[in-house]
Amino acid sequence: MTASVVQAVLLALCMAGLYAAVAAGLTLTVGVTRIINFAHGEFVMLGAFLTYWLHTRFGLSPWIGMTVSGVALALLSAIVYRSFLARVLKQDEHNQLLATLGLSILILNLAVIAWSPDPRVMQAPALLPALNLGGVTIPGNNIAVALVGLLLFLAMYAIRNHTRYGTQMRFASDDPGLAMHAGINVDQIFELSFVIGGAAAGVSGGLVALVLYVQPTVGVDLVIRAFAIIALGGLGNIPGALIGSAILALTEGLISTFVPQGGSWGFGIAFLILLLVLVIRPSGLFGKQVPA
Amino acid sequence: MTKFLLSRLGLYAAIAAPSLLILAADRPFLIQVAIGTLISAILALAWDILSRTGQVSLGHAAFFGIGGYGSALLTPILGAALGWVIGILLCGVVAVLLGAVTLRLRRLYFTIATLSFSLSIQVLILVTPGITGGATGIMPPVIAGGSPPLQLLFITGCLVAAAIVSDVFLGRRFRPAFFMIRNNPDLAAASGVPVTRLKILAFAVSGMVAGLAGACYCGLYGYVIPDDVFTTNWNVLPLAVTILGGMDTTIGPVVGAIVLRLLEEAARHFVGGVGYQVVYGAVIILFIAGMPEGLVGYGRQLIRRSRRSSERAPVKASLAS
Repeated sequence: MTASVVQAVLLALCMAGLYAAVAAGLTLTVGVTRIINFAHGEFVMLGAFLTYWLHTRFGLSPWIGMTVSGVALALLSAIVYRSFLARVLKQDEHNQLLATLGLSILILNLAVIAWSPDPRVMQAPALLPALNLGGVTIPGNNIAVALVGLLLFLAMYAIRNHTRYGTQMRFASDDPGLAMHAGINVDQIFELSFVIGGAAAGVSGGLVALVLYVQPTVGVDLVIRAFAIIALGGLGNIPGALIGSAILALTEGLISTFVPQGGSWGFGIAFLILLLVLVIRPSGLFGKQVPA
Repeated sequence: MTKFLLSRLGLYAAIAAPSLLILAADRPFLIQVAIGTLISAILALAWDILSRTGQVSLGHAAFFGIGGYGSALLTPILGAALGWVIGILLCGVVAVLLGAVTLRLRRLYFTIATLSFSLSIQVLILVTPGITGGATGIMPPVIAGGSPPLQLLFITGCLVAAAIVSDVFLGRRFRPAFFMIRNNPDLAAASGVPVTRLKILAFAVSGMVAGLAGACYCGLYGYVIPDDVFTTNWNVLPLAVTILGGMDTTIGPVVGAIVLRLLEEAARHFVGGVGYQVVYGAVIILFIAGMPEGLVGYGRQLIRRSRRSSERAPVKASLAS
């Protein structure tokens, strides 16, 4: 009994790494540009397919796959931003939300048409040796997911808080008008944060291919959780997102292991967490009290 | 006032006319297509009523499903009329509760909360097979004895009812308040608009109209399964329909439902049964980026422009002043 609890907790923490990776990219984009990017989940899904495809067709290691996905999705983000989002940014919030939602539905269904809705499994070799802790075994790929997720997460944190661009991003998000007067190219900074968010989505997609089914709807599932996590942590608050993903992954993991038929409760839990937190603290547990 | 009333009556007649034409043509396939189109128009009207207060919902499948399940479960106990009324009122009650807890959520959080709410309701149905039949669903009585022409007539009536409700909220009494709430809730509150009450009212009405659409849908074939009524299709469809036709109008969602259905049939022809929703995404993107007022708004603009240019010709001189 105790061994199975320990196992469930450890596996849930590995999932938390994946959730954190998805949420970190999203929170950087949303926190800076205030564009509520629904299509982030679809970017993750595209990264997962790319990694899967590179592995099954060309036998490339998932390490290379997730790097390539990161670069590819960064490029796609730049294209999407320039061709479409920059224009929507000038419209009201209502329309911005609808626009990224449309983008998400479009990409999702293009993927369904191109690759069919069937789930696939990537038969990946273990990237890291499995971890044995007296009767509890954690597969190496789950550990890789947790480590890369955490790394990605820290990278987002470092970019935002410890680089020149990060300072400009925070400035541009706090007051775009003032930032423009201070000589910051706000449009470029917004694009940069969107591109970095896209790169993070691509790498998280590589992680998805390691531990989840690769299928067109995987992005929606993840982006809903990511939004619940961001709500928990507070918008644009990167450490808060880390704690949020641990809370969500642990509740979800433990319920799906120990409650019969609990596997499909994930959305319900994400929803309850979102509601509880927002009813008590509308800007998240750790967020500043500013409206999203 | 009478002029206004006449124009409204004209609108309702225009909404009902295509169905009557199709009934007269008596082609079974067309009747089925028309029924589906009208149901999406009702659902889209429901979505639009809520969206006028700035609340973008991605969870209308929940009300659609609750309306379907509610009417299906209550009809055997209470009879058809009362079963439907109570089932739809149930949607209103759920909508008020959801509206009350999501009231303080701003844009993004609100949308995510509605989306995960609809997914949670689906889970709730799946884990209570004793009442709701779980994944296998239940078999409600069919409406109008299962005769498609009568069903079409009945659903046309429902659409006209939904249009009247939508018009009430576009009237002098509610429109300015809803507009203010959407654009600046703080300013609205400061100007004495009862923001909380109106937001919840919009939610309740929207939920009930969506429930009506769900009850119609489930009564068509006499079975309800969660995989059918809670699919994301029903969450996304009202958005695409309304944006295509034009937000903040009554005729918009109706026009949008018809045009989207045509696009959908075309897409089904090219890509098959899965992935046809790609047109929803494309329509939303193209219209938000290029024509945010939708087809109806664009049409109005064209009319206004042609009217202005015909007026302009004789009074060119006075323009200079």
